[in-house]
Amino acid sequence: MKYFRDEFDSFLDLNKDENDTLIKLRKKSFENFMETGLPTSKWEDWQFTNFSSLNAGDFRLSSANDVIKPPGIVPGQIPHSHLLLIINGHYQPGLSKLPKNVTISSGADHYFSHPEFYSHKNMESKWSKGLNPFYSLNTSMMNSGICVQVEENTVLSNPIQIIYLTTAIQNEIMNHPRFVFELGNNSKATFVEHYIGSTSIGYFNNCVTLVELGQNSFMDHIRIQEETSGSHHVANSFYGLSQGSTLNVNNTSIGSSLYRHNINLKFCDANSSANYNALSLVDNEQHHDQRIIVEHSSDSCQSNQLFKYILSDESSGVFNGKVIVEEHTRQTDANQSNKNLVLSPSALMNANPQLEIYAEDVKCSHGSTTGQIDPEALFYLKSRGLSHKKSMELIMNGFISDISELVNDKHISEYLNKIASQQLQKIMK
Amino acid sequence: MLEIKNLHAGVKGKAILNGLNLKVNPGELHAIMGRNGSGKSTLANIITGRDDYDIISGKIEFNGIDLNEMAPEDRALEGIFMSFQYPVVIPGVNNTYFLRAALNAQLKHFGKKEINAADFMRLIREKLKLVNMDEKYLSRAVNDGFSGGEKKRNEILQMLTLEPKLSILDETDSGLDIDALKIVAKGVNDFRDSTRSFIAITHYQRLLEYMEPDFIHILIDGKIVKSGDISLAQEVEKKGYSWLES
Ligand SMILES: Nc1ncnc2c1ncn2[C@@H]1O[C@H](COP(=O)(O)OP(=O)(O)OP(=O)(O)O)[C@@H](O)[C@H]1O
Ligand SMILES: [Mg+2]
Repeated sequence: MKYFRDEFDSFLDLNKDENDTLIKLRKKSFENFMETGLPTSKWEDWQFTNFSSLNAGDFRLSSANDVIKPPGIVPGQIPHSHLLLIINGHYQPGLSKLPKNVTISSGADHYFSHPEFYSHKNMESKWSKGLNPFYSLNTSMMNSGICVQVEENTVLSNPIQIIYLTTAIQNEIMNHPRFVFELGNNSKATFVEHYIGSTSIGYFNNCVTLVELGQNSFMDHIRIQEETSGSHHVANSFYGLSQGSTLNVNNTSIGSSLYRHNINLKFCDANSSANYNALSLVDNEQHHDQRIIVEHSSDSCQSNQLFKYILSDESSGVFNGKVIVEEHTRQTDANQSNKNLVLSPSALMNANPQLEIYAEDVKCSHGSTTGQIDPEALFYLKSRGLSHKKSMELIMNGFISDISELVNDKHISEYLNKIASQQLQKIMK
Repeated sequence: MLEIKNLHAGVKGKAILNGLNLKVNPGELHAIMGRNGSGKSTLANIITGRDDYDIISGKIEFNGIDLNEMAPEDRALEGIFMSFQYPVVIPGVNNTYFLRAALNAQLKHFGKKEINAADFMRLIREKLKLVNMDEKYLSRAVNDGFSGGEKKRNEILQMLTLEPKLSILDETDSGLDIDALKIVAKGVNDFRDSTRSFIAITHYQRLLEYMEPDFIHILIDGKIVKSGDISLAQEVEKKGYSWLES
């Protein structure tokens, strides 16, 4: 734990020129973090994930030494997307031309223009259920990330892809990126938030992403987590939906030895809909823990969640999903489904889908199943001459096929299919 | 083609087939009848190599190859096919993709060039006509949302596409309406020639009226107790099985 204090102190030292209110916010957040420390297994909603490796670790906040030249070929780049590249926490400007009506700003600049996204009070009141030590830690040392704003009445034909690459580091680093994606009223855009690691040295990314959808806007958000197997990835994502907006999320996670993701989704106004599909494909001793809270606080909103895991070897997964339908809301339609395929007897899945309904006018469904490869299906395919490997591949690809249904961009779909089938090949062994 | 000698076999350690003998020559169609639970599907599963189904003693040879220890996929590549009594739904696996993969596995096995998607579509459309199936079934997941009869037709579609040497039809007639039965029987009959063999498991003599079997075998307690021609099926239809019990 001690390294957090050391790193925070030297961070403040290096950033003495920062605005006072921002420094105050950082200090306050750091105090909050130190007060509680990292979550332990005794905490409700955190009991299945062990952060002792973060406690014992010694991660240095990424510094100017970690600035490197962008590689000739950027890994993970999706054709026809506008690329925003951040390497080891350092933004690489000038790599791509952004479309008209899209502005980006980074850290402090964004903070000054939009303090409401950062103030603890604001966040507390809007996301009382979503704040936690990792959020505080991120605020105290947020050192990277980017804010992308799409103006009103703008339709973007090509996705904006943010690649957050960790590569060629010399020792164990940590980063606390803060992303804000703001979509103006009546606008339509696709955002790809993409984490990639390429290094044999361990690292820790502690990310916070705030997504705001304006009225009648339409967003596809694709989150891809391809960190290295030796990394830690913790994330807090917040989605706020205004009146009449539509959100489609595809969240594909294959990397990290320790992955914890808190997802908070809130219908701030009526007539909106959100579809959230998530896929985790893990092997060895990977641990993937995802928790989603969907708050139906407005009328006539619809949410659909589908979380799928395939687990092999000694890997483990956690799904903790909660749908809250608040008092006096009407015409809520909420569905939650979690399906898990366990390939090895030592792999473990913990699933806990929950509904908290305080209103009458509600249509809800939820469920969770965990099972193995259906031996009948396997025999059926083999009896048609397909090898064991090919049959397994078909069944697993079939199992995950509905996850990618929400992705509208062909190139993104292709990319997701590619990494999913590569990962399936790997975890099947 | 297929030679089974004094076969004792079972599932999960339980003996079900008790000294079964059967010889199927190229071009022949053998019908197997017998009560529920007499071991008909077990025989089909043993021939196709399903897990958990084990040979205790005896021998099964297919074109001179000992099938014991041979993986089900290799048996399929050698030309053994089963139309399942209960075809399984495989969620998310596209029917067309699956069937082309199966055909390509076979082509590859015989050192032939794989078939591309366009050629396969042409081929499969021809086959669909033979079983009077709508093209829309191709875009669904394997057997997903298929009615009982549609599943059976899908099995025959697969048979006609993969062109096996030995086809085992496990109650393919059950659940088919009379028109579908005629279509399936015609599909099988047109597919019959001097090189292919069939084992048709059925409860009803009706199927045999359309298919003209060369032999009828009656299976009781895991053993063929009587073999004969079509008249045996007619007799069973009238009298049941008890007169055949020893
Ligand atoms: N996987 C299995 N596990 C346990 N018992 C089995 C299994 N498969 C078959 N059996 C048993 O073996 C016996 C023969 O079953 P089989 O399915 O071969 O009968 P069948 O002749 O095909 O019957 P039907 O006409 O009802 O299809 C039955 O008693 C059945 O319960
Ligand atoms: Mg049977």
